[in-house]
Amino acid sequence: MTKPLLNVTNLTSGYGDIQVLWGIDFDIAEGEAVCLVGSNGAGKSTLLRTLSGLLPARTGEIQFRGESIANDTPKHILSAGIVHVPEGRRLFGPMSVIDNLLTGAYLRSDKAAIRQDLEQMMELFPILAERRHQAAGTLSGGEQQMCAIARGIMSRPKLLMIDELSLGLAPKVVDSLGEALRRIQQQGLSMLLVEQDVVTAFELTTRGIVLDSGRVKIIGPTSELSENPMVQQAYMGLM
Amino acid sequence: MIFFQYLVNGLILGGLYACIATGFSLVWGVLSIINILHGSFIVLGAYIGIFSYTMLGIHPFVSVITAGIVLGALGYVVQLGIINRVVAQSVLVTLILTFGLELMMNNAMLVAFTADYRKVILEKSLGVLEIGNVFIAMDRAVATVIAFVLIFLLWLLMRLTSIGRAIVAVRFDREAASLMGIDVKKTYAITFALGGAMAGAAGSLMSVSFPISPLSGPLFLSKAFVICILGGVGSVPGAALGGLIFGMLESFGAVFFGAEYALTLAFIVLIILLLVRPHGLLGVKGF
Repeated sequence: MTKPLLNVTNLTSGYGDIQVLWGIDFDIAEGEAVCLVGSNGAGKSTLLRTLSGLLPARTGEIQFRGESIANDTPKHILSAGIVHVPEGRRLFGPMSVIDNLLTGAYLRSDKAAIRQDLEQMMELFPILAERRHQAAGTLSGGEQQMCAIARGIMSRPKLLMIDELSLGLAPKVVDSLGEALRRIQQQGLSMLLVEQDVVTAFELTTRGIVLDSGRVKIIGPTSELSENPMVQQAYMGLM
Repeated sequence: MIFFQYLVNGLILGGLYACIATGFSLVWGVLSIINILHGSFIVLGAYIGIFSYTMLGIHPFVSVITAGIVLGALGYVVQLGIINRVVAQSVLVTLILTFGLELMMNNAMLVAFTADYRKVILEKSLGVLEIGNVFIAMDRAVATVIAFVLIFLLWLLMRLTSIGRAIVAVRFDREAASLMGIDVKKTYAITFALGGAMAGAAGSLMSVSFPISPLSGPLFLSKAFVICILGGVGSVPGAALGGLIFGMLESFGAVFFGAEYALTLAFIVLIILLLVRPHGLLGVKGF
């Protein structure tokens, strides 16, 4: 088996006196798309925040491309190749779409390549090209999510983590976002997708992690998970 | 036409005031710090202008560069070493901190420079230009032009560079900015340094026109405060516009109501504006 891109072992984390994650183990292979599902408060966002360095890891180990990144600064983790598209898009509202994307490339200095990537993002999300000089805060929810994802990709990551891709978006918008994500994936980018809508999550990824009360409950191919009666009952609203 | 004379006076004053206020406004907008130290930064900049001229013969317009660098460096150190420790706290905490620092700096300057008023008296003045019946003191006019050039450079920096984008990003979402790899504390220090540099440069420019003592700090501060709110907190063009309006208010206000009411008039206009347009004339923008 090839060495995983991301390897998480026995990770615990939380806020103040409250421990949220209890001994998380999982890995992500190069080029793989993995989803993280679970109910509200299961610890999905906390896990992403710990991986991206916003929250300290209390115990455990996070290895990315063979190097430990546990408790590194967000800056180091980003330059190592993990980008976190936070829940609620968190765009810089008064800044233009272009400036938001350029901020995503803050750590890069290869100007020509940044220009190229900018054009590529406009191709991937044509609506952003139309809105390039518009303040990001005035975009619709779907457009904002596209802008946030594009901003994340501008850092040229190896692993793209998206928190709540579809939250508050119309099904049609989610479809077109999914289509864009598939295209990005084909270029070899790995993905960790946090999603409340399990059906969407399973469509976009090949492996799933089910989180429950801060612990990994099941890990498996999404094709198997979607047949699993427990998953169906608890998360898919079936049966 | 006496009207044009007042207009020109107002414009010239306004440029200097705009320069005073931009740095203050940037720091307030980005860091949410009402920097009471700003007035003392301006005064120290003025002293750099004065002593560079009297001791070394360097023209205050050239000292704008040294004053900018010295006060910029001082601002960077103060933010990184002291204010960053409490920057995430409420506005009141940082206000008290900068107030305390201002007391210390003010007293240090009183000890070092005494309370005497000083001003640069140029040996070779640029003289007075007369157009029609309007007299323009050229030293002041050049100072105003330099002030606007500095403001324009700051605006370009904010608009076109990645540092400028980082400053705006940090202003609107600290956490999202750090996810972009932006070092928030360093960006704060750079912002404070820019504010200090603008204050220092403004001080050196003012040393040609206004007599200055360590006690002038609070006066400059109160003017910067009004201008900043007039134009919209955090906005560079807003501070420029606010400065011009403030200059006009002083110039025309002095004629109609007497010079002693100039600041009163400015605060009255401020109160009316707060009732009508609480976000300032240009409102909340990126910078």
